[in-house]
Amino acid sequence: MTKTFDDDVSLVIAVEHLRKAYGATVAVDDVSFSVRAGEIFGVLGRNGAGKTTTVECLSGLRVPDSGHLEVLGLDPLANGRELHERVGVQLQQSALPPKIRVGEAVDLYASFYSRPADSDRLLGVLGLDAKRGSYFRDLSGGQKQRLSIVLALIGQPEIAILDELTTGLDPEARRETWDLIEGVRDSGVTIVLVTHFMEEAERLCDRVALIDRGKVIALGPPAHLGEQAATSKRVRLRAPDQLADVVLEALPEVSAVEHHGSDLVVVGSGNLGTAVVLAFDRAGLVAEDVRTEASSLEDAFLALTAAAENDETAVDAGR
Amino acid sequence: MSTPAPAASNSPSRRRAYGLLVLTELRLALRYPVGLVFGLGLPMLLLVIFGSIPSLTQPKKEFGGVSFFTVYAPTLMVLVLLVLGLLSLPTQMAGYREQGVLRRMSTTPVPASALLGAQLAVNLILAAASIVMLLGVGAGAFNLVLPSQAGWYLLSLVLTIAAMFGIGLCVAALASSPQVASAIGMGLFYPLAFFAGLYFPLVELHSSVIDQIAKVLPSGAGFDALHASLAGHFPGGEAIGVLVAYAIVFSAIAVRWFRWGVERSETRRLAIPALLMHSIKQSTGSR
Repeated sequence: MTKTFDDDVSLVIAVEHLRKAYGATVAVDDVSFSVRAGEIFGVLGRNGAGKTTTVECLSGLRVPDSGHLEVLGLDPLANGRELHERVGVQLQQSALPPKIRVGEAVDLYASFYSRPADSDRLLGVLGLDAKRGSYFRDLSGGQKQRLSIVLALIGQPEIAILDELTTGLDPEARRETWDLIEGVRDSGVTIVLVTHFMEEAERLCDRVALIDRGKVIALGPPAHLGEQAATSKRVRLRAPDQLADVVLEALPEVSAVEHHGSDLVVVGSGNLGTAVVLAFDRAGLVAEDVRTEASSLEDAFLALTAAAENDETAVDAGR
Repeated sequence: MSTPAPAASNSPSRRRAYGLLVLTELRLALRYPVGLVFGLGLPMLLLVIFGSIPSLTQPKKEFGGVSFFTVYAPTLMVLVLLVLGLLSLPTQMAGYREQGVLRRMSTTPVPASALLGAQLAVNLILAAASIVMLLGVGAGAFNLVLPSQAGWYLLSLVLTIAAMFGIGLCVAALASSPQVASAIGMGLFYPLAFFAGLYFPLVELHSSVIDQIAKVLPSGAGFDALHASLAGHFPGGEAIGVLVAYAIVFSAIAVRWFRWGVERSETRRLAIPALLMHSIKQSTGSR
């Protein structure tokens, strides 16, 4: 049972070949990943990719069909009570009676745990101290989300599982929430963040698991996934001269040159930007407004999910 | 996987959690006054209206020498329990399931069943308060005869509560949303209220068919038991049997099929029926 943890003592969650189907619908096909102590781990994917089912299994809310799960060395189904004492969970939908007051909800949830956090301090940190007397239904979307973070942290958990935390928030509230999450991580809590926002994962997560149709298709730091998916690079610059095409096409790094209005887009690989600027210099041309178009996690996601789709088609065709 | 260990309900912190849960549910019940208005207010209003009409407090031959008011008092008790058990409890629990409150609690060390326990406790507290007030005001202001055999009356009340709340728990267990719970509750409430004599005392109908139906319904049996024990008599074996049967059958269905909004492993879900089967086998085997 604890074998997984002997390999690396700093692992707090291990998921191996998790599978979960609802009737004929396979929500999670084959998901494996592990989470290290103190990191923000992103579970990233489109709606319906199987993210929520995965974390519901981790939280002990669902029974996996097969696979092995370990959270803090515990089996979520067999040791639910101890698990819930040590793992805080924030669920997707609002989950409080509309007419409960903020203070009542926080005091009630604090009483569920054996060593709760200081609720006044926590409400202060999340900017809700003035809302103690408000009904849950009268809170704004951002305040409701912050309250659900308070409730997820009220038991002083070692791990916080946060599902679609910033969905439905305006950009400012989203950024504030991100800062809060970083603060929580800095206080020593390991965070599992479920999201379909690439920007959120890129900004917050130390590592992410990209999940598509029930399978992990990529795993690693967001920046690495971007590089991993970037099969070609693009450099955009102001077209200086008709000669430019000839100069650029002679370079081994360049695979194509495209004209977009007055701009040239150079597609290629390797150290493309430097190669272009040096070649222009040698030819006595000046390159203006040279911009490397960065490959983001979003590009990586699209490239990887497209690749997974192609594989699937190939497999289907082979049958 | 074995049956989950029973909650460590004796620890001081757990007790504090349960106490706070009941207190919070009580506060919420006061903020959604439906249960209060129809469970406490309406019966009291009916008591005051009928108690204030002089002709209704005069003994009548058709009511076996007692007044309409005396006959109607057990009906009001059944009304209280119908409202709180069949309407308030299931609607609230189905709402908690739909809002995700049960799931949210399932991620804490305190199980969602504690919330069901708190809801039961709150509705029982409201029922007790309502019945005590009805008896108090009835006796104090309108010469309602209080039960001379408090024991039989209490037994009748407890069994009627068990039957009504058992049915309510069953509705709470199976209804997918508060709207469905409310529709089922209402659908049961109107006919059951009729057979408790809410619209008019059933004796006025002189129909043996209606009387026979009333006897096997929880509201009719509850009325019979309360009526007999108010007069100081034994509640009646038939009424007691009917009430106990409703309580056991419907509570068992609720326990077996209550949906917490959370998956349980098969072994856990089957633990209770399996335990029952086991104990039945043991007891029959020992004979």
